[in-house]
Amino acid sequence: MNSYPIELLTQLAPVMFVAGLDLSTSPAVDSSDTPISPQPSPSHSQDPFLQLVQRLRDALVSQRKPAIWQPEKSKTFQAILVDKDVRFPPRKLLSPEDPGYASSHSPLSPLTPSSPLYPDGLIAPIWVRKHTTLIPSVFVLFKRLYEFQASPQHPRSPLDLVFSEKEREREQEERRWDSELAAEIALRKRFTHERGMKLTVVLLATRKILDEPSLDTRLTFIRRQSGLDSRAALFVLSPVSQAELGEFISSLQQALYDPAVEYYTSHSKRVRRKRNRHSQSASAYPNPPALASGGGPLRPLRPEGWTVRYEYKMACFAEFRGEDEVALKHYQDAYEALIIMFGSIIILSPRTKRWAEAKVLADCINIKITKLYLYNNEHALAVSHHTTHMRRFGDFSRGWGIGEETYEYWSWMARQHRVLAELIELGTNSHLNSTLVIPIHKPIISPSSTIGIQRVGSPGIEMELNAIRSLIINPNHLLQHPGFYYYMAARCTEMRRERFNAALLALEDNQYHPGTLNPASNSPGFANEKKVDHFVLILELYTKAYEHFKRHAEVHAQTTQTQTHQGRLPLYIAYRIAQTYQDSGKYDMAIRFFERMAKTYRKEQWRSLLVPLLSTWYACAERLGDVDLCVRLLVEMLGYGIDGSEFEDLEDVESRLMRTLKDNKPSSEDPIVLDHLESQPLFDTSLVFWKPEAEVHELVAFQLSLAAPRDRSIQSLPFSKLEIYTKEDDDAPFIIEHVEQSDAEGEGDLVRRVELGQVGKERTEDPIIKASLRWRKGGILILTGTMSSRIPTYLTLSLLKLYLSYDAWKIELPLKPCKSRQPSNALESLWLSCLYPVRFIPITREDYSSVNVKHRPHKVTVSVNHRQPAYLNENYPITIQVTNVDDAELDVVVEVLLLPSDLDYAVNTIAVDEEQSSGLLKGISLGVLAPGVSAIKTLYLRSTEAAGDRTLDISVQSRSTTSATGTSDSSVAYPVDTPQPELLDITETLRTVVVPTVEPLKMTCDVTYRRAIGAQIGLADLNAFEEDFWDDGDGGEATVVSTFQCSGPWGLAIESLVLKRQDVLQAKIMTSSINEIGKDVFPSEYLPGDNFGDICCISISSQGKNGQHIFQPVPVPGEYEVAWKRILSDSEYGEPTITTFVLPPLQPPIDGLVALLNPPTIANLHQPIAMSLTIRNRHPTRSANITVHLDSDPSDGFVVAGLRNGRVPVLLPGGEEKLTWKLIPVECGYVQLPKLRVVDRRKAIASAQGLGGPGTDVEIEGVPVKIVDVRTEQKVVSILSTTGSGGEVKKDAEDAAAVDPNRIADVLVLP
Amino acid sequence: MAPGLRLNAVAFISPQNEPTLIRTFSKQDESAIKYHYIAHTSLDVIDERVAANSKLSECYLGLLYAMEDVAVYGYITPSKVKIVIALALSDSVVRDIEVNMIFKALHMAYYAAISNPFLALRASTDFVHDSPRSYSLLAGSQKWKNFRRRVDEISRDLGNPMTTNQDR
Repeated sequence: MNSYPIELLTQLAPVMFVAGLDLSTSPAVDSSDTPISPQPSPSHSQDPFLQLVQRLRDALVSQRKPAIWQPEKSKTFQAILVDKDVRFPPRKLLSPEDPGYASSHSPLSPLTPSSPLYPDGLIAPIWVRKHTTLIPSVFVLFKRLYEFQASPQHPRSPLDLVFSEKEREREQEERRWDSELAAEIALRKRFTHERGMKLTVVLLATRKILDEPSLDTRLTFIRRQSGLDSRAALFVLSPVSQAELGEFISSLQQALYDPAVEYYTSHSKRVRRKRNRHSQSASAYPNPPALASGGGPLRPLRPEGWTVRYEYKMACFAEFRGEDEVALKHYQDAYEALIIMFGSIIILSPRTKRWAEAKVLADCINIKITKLYLYNNEHALAVSHHTTHMRRFGDFSRGWGIGEETYEYWSWMARQHRVLAELIELGTNSHLNSTLVIPIHKPIISPSSTIGIQRVGSPGIEMELNAIRSLIINPNHLLQHPGFYYYMAARCTEMRRERFNAALLALEDNQYHPGTLNPASNSPGFANEKKVDHFVLILELYTKAYEHFKRHAEVHAQTTQTQTHQGRLPLYIAYRIAQTYQDSGKYDMAIRFFERMAKTYRKEQWRSLLVPLLSTWYACAERLGDVDLCVRLLVEMLGYGIDGSEFEDLEDVESRLMRTLKDNKPSSEDPIVLDHLESQPLFDTSLVFWKPEAEVHELVAFQLSLAAPRDRSIQSLPFSKLEIYTKEDDDAPFIIEHVEQSDAEGEGDLVRRVELGQVGKERTEDPIIKASLRWRKGGILILTGTMSSRIPTYLTLSLLKLYLSYDAWKIELPLKPCKSRQPSNALESLWLSCLYPVRFIPITREDYSSVNVKHRPHKVTVSVNHRQPAYLNENYPITIQVTNVDDAELDVVVEVLLLPSDLDYAVNTIAVDEEQSSGLLKGISLGVLAPGVSAIKTLYLRSTEAAGDRTLDISVQSRSTTSATGTSDSSVAYPVDTPQPELLDITETLRTVVVPTVEPLKMTCDVTYRRAIGAQIGLADLNAFEEDFWDDGDGGEATVVSTFQCSGPWGLAIESLVLKRQDVLQAKIMTSSINEIGKDVFPSEYLPGDNFGDICCISISSQGKNGQHIFQPVPVPGEYEVAWKRILSDSEYGEPTITTFVLPPLQPPIDGLVALLNPPTIANLHQPIAMSLTIRNRHPTRSANITVHLDSDPSDGFVVAGLRNGRVPVLLPGGEEKLTWKLIPVECGYVQLPKLRVVDRRKAIASAQGLGGPGTDVEIEGVPVKIVDVRTEQKVVSILSTTGSGGEVKKDAEDAAAVDPNRIADVLVLP
Repeated sequence: MAPGLRLNAVAFISPQNEPTLIRTFSKQDESAIKYHYIAHTSLDVIDERVAANSKLSECYLGLLYAMEDVAVYGYITPSKVKIVIALALSDSVVRDIEVNMIFKALHMAYYAAISNPFLALRASTDFVHDSPRSYSLLAGSQKWKNFRRRVDEISRDLGNPMTTNQDR
């Protein structure tokens, strides 16, 4: 951008002239000649006004610095400090009094002969300078307001007699000074007014004056007198702080901005008028007199030129006003008009002064337009304009004879790229007002957009077209960071240099052939170009580009916080820089760049980039005479398979390397180490192990192959030795020394095999062997050997080192043991099986180049014995037998884990010795077992609650006792403190045992209930309050028949069966068969399927301790305890075990109203018997109204004496009534009892009332009450109890088929 | 496809950022190295794009950069194989959809190439455990001609004159 006039590029802003702020002479200087000096001459630094002036100067000037990139639109001025008597340049050449004034023009007009633009110049930078430095839009005048200084000896006082006199004197003095000031302002006002500028006066005054009441009148006086505007024309400022000063300046600018805009608007209007007049009549301007007088080839400015001139001026004025859009429009118009002018040779003939000026103007307008677009972040438009500009002028250049084949063309192109780069750099510079954001092109390809493109043809889908529009981009209009444009500038400069060199060459040719002299050779441009150091230019541009690319990469790395390898783009620029250095002969610089680049390319395997780089690098090294580097590069080139075609003399790399070695001496004694393990190796190396796994101390066979390249020879390379390193011995490698061999010994073969023997730390032989280290084209050397390790590890080779020796040269060539040049052309993972003929076996496993060495597993047998199934509650023995069948002593530890059972309620424990656990038993030591010795541990499993499978994991860990001592010996190999588990010599043997568990016994219970027959105890019976009173009147009696069955597969020896009574309130066991006779039964042995049982009788009371009724179910009054042992095979018994079975809960029937009939079962003929009927009202709340009917029938076998039909007194709840009949049997045999009916009338009434309907003429006799024959009464509940207290299965209660509860049995009458 | 697009070069880059296949279709022979550089440098921009949007669901990365006379577009397959194409820069708009279609076609060509069962046979023994290379590298090697043939066909379908250059 420096190559363009700065006036045409800077951002324009309204100009403000500031006068009266002179430092040397205080603004109060006017009053210095008066006898009453206002300042009692203080020192300059302490004078508050001087300080104020200084601050004002600084603040105003720093409001705006002229800059190219200034997008923000704050209302600031370009302040210029001027003398207060400054004069503006004349508007026209003649004075206004001159009669020719109207037709004369500005001194800069092309129409004025003295103008530099005369006669056909477009616009000159000087015009812009005139408006930015010589003519302001507003004029600010700083003046000191006069201040009357009362003499300090006479302090003013209202009481003072001379007060009024003093006051008058003061007023007069003030008035005098103010008039003077006003006159001066008026003079200045006249000047500014005629140029349409705003004049503003700032009066500096002390703070004291501000408070005086007379200030207003004084100010009004001054304004009126001087003819200042009423608005924003007069300010008063006292010395204030910096912050307040800033506020003042911003408010001043705020107030003056509108007048400034007005000023420039009026200019614009004037220019537009002129342009309109001009465009209406092309010949509006008479030809200047110079032409009229026949001034030779001078031609006046064409109408197009005037358009350019006016549009440019209007654009500038709009820019002054800060109206960017308007400015852009006018600049574009000016630019278009310029293009038209360039289009015609007649209008602008090439290579003239005006043409060059116009070209500069066009470039500058282009920059302005681009910049204005960028202000708005309209990237595409900006870049598009710039590229169009370059294309258009590129096209024009061809017409002008400075096409692509000339250096001028490329010089110009480079400048354009550079200008854009600099502009974007300014825009994005973080220190300046960076408003420009470089966009990222991010595509959004949604399914809807693909639909859109199919419908492009159909009209009216405006929305979708818009969507498509957002998906298309012209890559040419992409705004990128400045590095790209610097790069382009550098490329263009390279082209420029190339073309210039061609021109220079052509010139030299012409010198030999005089007569065909190229006219261009003598042009000043060519002479200029000769002075240019192109390389410096190119390097400068590339360096700038490099910086930008690098910064961009760094910024990106920071924002995303990724450690990805960035910087490939900078690397590319570095490549160009290196090339430029090489071209310019600075080989040392080039080499430095090459070194850095090669690192990345090696690492990322970009052979295609590395190969040319190596060649160029080598060329540089050769030029520099760096023999060591040459050798290094040649060896690396050999690895990459570069043939001699890259060199000028086509000498191949191998012989070149040999020649270099022969002709030169190394720079130092030290061997040259070519440590590019990342670069492509000279040999395809491959390490293959036959086995994937091995045991400690086992010899593992491996094959290491070194394959020479197939496409070029390395036969002459003098390899002297090969060192093979393993992981553990870096200091003592296995060495293969070269020995010359005759062809007969096999060097002629393509594949050669050399036996190494054992390699590594464990080897026993001398680690040096001799073999031929020469390779034919494509030759393969296969080294076979064995390795072993005494500790568990991954066994592999770590490094190979190949040495080249030639005279004094010692070159060390490290190789990875397994690396191929190309991904697909190696014999990796092939195992040489036969040499004559050559045969390979592919090893198809992933990590063929290493062996996993492990400890040999110990030979331990573990047997687990138990007799399944186990019984519940039993201490079930499981024996674990561990036998050491290894040949070394082993320390054996057992762990047992009882897996959680998925059975509900199951609580299980395992126990060994004294230890017991419900989960894991750890560290059960079996001690050190000598070879052949076995140890037995018995584990007890106790399962409760539920039958089912229990699972145990048994882990037997054997640790070799020798390895434990070995560990402490070789503390280098593994530190004792932190032994890695995989390194310890431990073998773990696992067993999983599933123990099915079943119940030993099953209990089945049958329960029968009977009602109590005895009379109920009276309410007032005192016995009821006795401690041991037992009232079974409501409960009755239950008979429980329990049957035990041996359900398991093993026989049981039952030690005892005991019914244990439990103290519950509502039930008590009356009798139990087992307690009476069971003592003789047990112990005895039972086989599977055998049964035994017990019958017990339980009396149930419905009353609790305090007499209150407790309802169902009745708690269990006792439990059976069965003590048993399992019968083992040979009359042995298992552990004694006790299983308990809980009696079932009792649920006696609950009655409401019941009638119990109790006749005798047997009677003798003609002997009277008594039959009683007990009616009980068990209903808790209701009374009962009972009638009893005995229906005698002639066929009855009885003669009945007693109540036939009768009403029983009302039975209250809990009440009972007993009726008795005498019967005399008159027949023998089973005689039916007379029919009895018991009817509850109360219920009948209730039901009749409940029905209430008119049609209920059913007999309202009542509801019959159930009559129970107590002789046959029973209620059976059969309960199957599976375990002692486990889940119960309740069968359906009443077994209806067995006994009809309503049946009344007959009486057997005997004769 | 799009008549306006001129394909200058195609590059396939493995997930480990090693070049798989680089085909150039421009006439100047000496510029082949340029496209290698373009392929390499565009990895920077691809990394940048991927890192900026880690949850990338779309393979197409769009215009990476424009330099000299080419516009470089990028594409990343779900298996992190990068495809870069260089289109000749002309002053006309380029539809992302069209570029994406080229990429899709190239992607399919790549799929077809690595589906070669013989490739898998070869690759299983080529697996070096300290520098894992997928067999995408293999697919581009000289041995397998099918892949480059497909890529060349795509270029021809775009209306480019066939000029085969040596590569790799």
